[in-house]
Amino acid sequence: MIGIKNLSKDWKEFSLKDINLEVKRGEYFVILGPTGAGKTLLLETIAGFHFPDSGEIWIEGQNITNQPPERRGIGFIYQDYSLFPHLTVEENIEFGLKLRKSASPDTARKRLRGIMDWLSISHLAHRYPTTLSGGEQQKVAIARAIATEPSILLLDEPLAALDRRTSDYLREELKRIKEESGITMVHVTHDQTEAMVLADRIAVMMNGRIMQVGTPYEIFNKPQNEEIADFVGVENILSGVVHANNNGVAEIEVDLGGHSHNIFAVSNYHAGTVKVFIRPEDIILSENRGESSARNVMKGRIEALDDMGPLTRVKMDNSLVALITKQSRESLHLQNGKEVYATFKATSVHVVR
Amino acid sequence: MLKKLKHSKIKAITVLSSLFLAIFISVPIICVVTHTTLSALMTSLASEEIQFAIRLSLETAAISTIMCIAISVPAAYALARYDFFGKSVINTILDAPLALPPLVAGVGLLILFGTTSFGKALADAGLVFVFTPYGIVIAQFFVNVPFMLRILRGTFQSINPRYEHVAETLGCTRAQAFWHVTLPMSKNGFLAGSVITWSKGIGEFGAALMLAGATRMKTETLPISVFLNMSCGELDLAIAAATILIIISLISLFAFERYGGFAQVF
Repeated sequence: MIGIKNLSKDWKEFSLKDINLEVKRGEYFVILGPTGAGKTLLLETIAGFHFPDSGEIWIEGQNITNQPPERRGIGFIYQDYSLFPHLTVEENIEFGLKLRKSASPDTARKRLRGIMDWLSISHLAHRYPTTLSGGEQQKVAIARAIATEPSILLLDEPLAALDRRTSDYLREELKRIKEESGITMVHVTHDQTEAMVLADRIAVMMNGRIMQVGTPYEIFNKPQNEEIADFVGVENILSGVVHANNNGVAEIEVDLGGHSHNIFAVSNYHAGTVKVFIRPEDIILSENRGESSARNVMKGRIEALDDMGPLTRVKMDNSLVALITKQSRESLHLQNGKEVYATFKATSVHVVR
Repeated sequence: MLKKLKHSKIKAITVLSSLFLAIFISVPIICVVTHTTLSALMTSLASEEIQFAIRLSLETAAISTIMCIAISVPAAYALARYDFFGKSVINTILDAPLALPPLVAGVGLLILFGTTSFGKALADAGLVFVFTPYGIVIAQFFVNVPFMLRILRGTFQSINPRYEHVAETLGCTRAQAFWHVTLPMSKNGFLAGSVITWSKGIGEFGAALMLAGATRMKTETLPISVFLNMSCGELDLAIAAATILIIISLISLFAFERYGGFAQVF
C-alpha cells in the first residue's frame, strides 16, 4: 500500500535518515517516538508537503515521490485540527468535495450528510470552528479529510491536544472509523497507550530513524535494544553475562543492587554479555517465598512507593521496579522498608546482545 | 499611607501628561476646522480647484494602493513563507522608504525618471512621470509600499502553513490553496493595509512635490492644494483642502484601529 524506500530528508532542526517502511492496505499503523524524532516530518513528506532529499515513496504500486499533495489521495489530520476559520463546519467538510468537479452537487450533498451523521456532528453544521470544543473540532477535521475518500489517512498526534476523557472517546472513534471504512491509517504519536490500543503494527522512531517495526506485543515485550526498551517503559534494564543454557533457558548473572544474582530467561544465547529487559508489570510481589512455576525469585526491601492512580510503582533496594495494582498494595500491606519477594517468569525476561 | 500617597502622585503626573498631549494634538486640528465659517467652507469645497484636487487625490491614491497590493501580495508571501538568499537584505531595503524623508525619495525619483536613459526610454514609450499625475502615483507608491508590505507580510506569517497543506490534501493546487484559504484568512490584513496605504497616499506631499511638481489644476492634490493656496494667501481654499484631509485621516485611523490592531507597521 505505502512503501517508503531509503528516504532521507533534512528540514530545519529535524531529519529523516534512510527510512524504509511498508504499510499494508487497511492497516492501522502507528509511528511511535519521542518529541523531536522527526515523526511529523516523515508524515508531511509522505503527504507531499516536503520533497525528500533522496529515496522514494510508493502508493498502490505507483512511485509518487514527485507528485504534488493534491494528486496523492491522502487525507491529513493535524494535532491542532487546522480547520478553516472563515468557513462553517459544513463548508469545511464540503471544501474538498466542491473542488472535485466529478461529483454532482446532489451526490456531494448526500456524502456530506452521510459523513456528518456517521460522526454525529450534524448539529454543528452551521457553527464556525472557533466556537467548537477540541473534540468537536477534531471530529470535523476527520470528516473533512475523509469526505474526499482518500485511500490513506495520516494523523499527526491527533489526540494530543485533547483532555483525557475526550481523547479516550476519540481513540475509540478512530478505531471505529478504520474498521467501518477500511481506510489505511498512519498515526503518529508519543503516547504508548495510544499506540498499544490502536495499532495493528507499530514503528518506533528515534532521532530520524526507524528503530523497530512490529506488533504492539513485540514492541512492548521484545524491544530490540536498550534505547527502545527504555522508551517503551521497560524499567528494569540490566547488564549480564550468560553462563549456561539448558534447553533454551539461559542462566544469566546480573548485578542487582550491588549483589550478583543468577536469573533465568528464555533465550538462545549460550555465552557472552547481554542486556536483560523485564517489564515492571511482569514482576509479582509476595510476602513469602511460596511455591510457583516462576523460575526467578529475588528478595528485596521496598525503597519507594509511587502512587500512579490505579497502579503503584514499587522500587526495591535490589534496583528492581515493579508495577502492581492498588489492591495488591493494600492486601500485602506494602510500605517503605518492608521485605518482599519479587517473582518473575523466565518467559518475561527478554534478552538482547 | 505614604506609599499610597506616592502612588497616587505618580498616577496624577502620568495621567496629566497624557491629557496635556491629547489637548496639544487636538487643538491645532480644531483650529483648522473652525478657522472659517461653514458657508465659506462649502463655497470653497464647491470651487473647481478643490473639486479637482479631491478627484486627483482620490484617483491617484486608489491607483497607487492597487499597485501596492499587486506587488506586495506576492512579495510579502515570499518573505513570509520562503527562505532564500539575500532575504534579510531585501527585507531591510523594502523597509527603507519608511525611514527616508519623502522629499529625498522624490529627489531620487526625479533623477531616475528625469535624467537617466531608463527614464528617457519610459518617456519615449509615453510614460512621462516628471511633472505629471503619473509621477504622483509613482511617488505615493514608492513612499507607501512598505506599509502594505509589512502588514501583509505579518498577516501571512500569522497564518500557519498547515492550512495550505491541508487544503492541498483536499485537492487544491498551491495557487488554489492560497486563493481559497490564505487570502480569505488575510481579510483583515488587506483591509488594514489598504486603508493605511490609501490614506497615506492621499496625504503624500514631499515625494510627489519633487517628482510631479506643484502645478495648479494639473498636479494639484489636496496637500499640494494646501501648500499652493497657503503660499498665495488663499486661506479659505487651503482650509477646505486641509479639512478634507483631516476627515479622511480620522476615518482611516478608525478603520485601521478596527481591522489592523494586530498588524505591526513600524
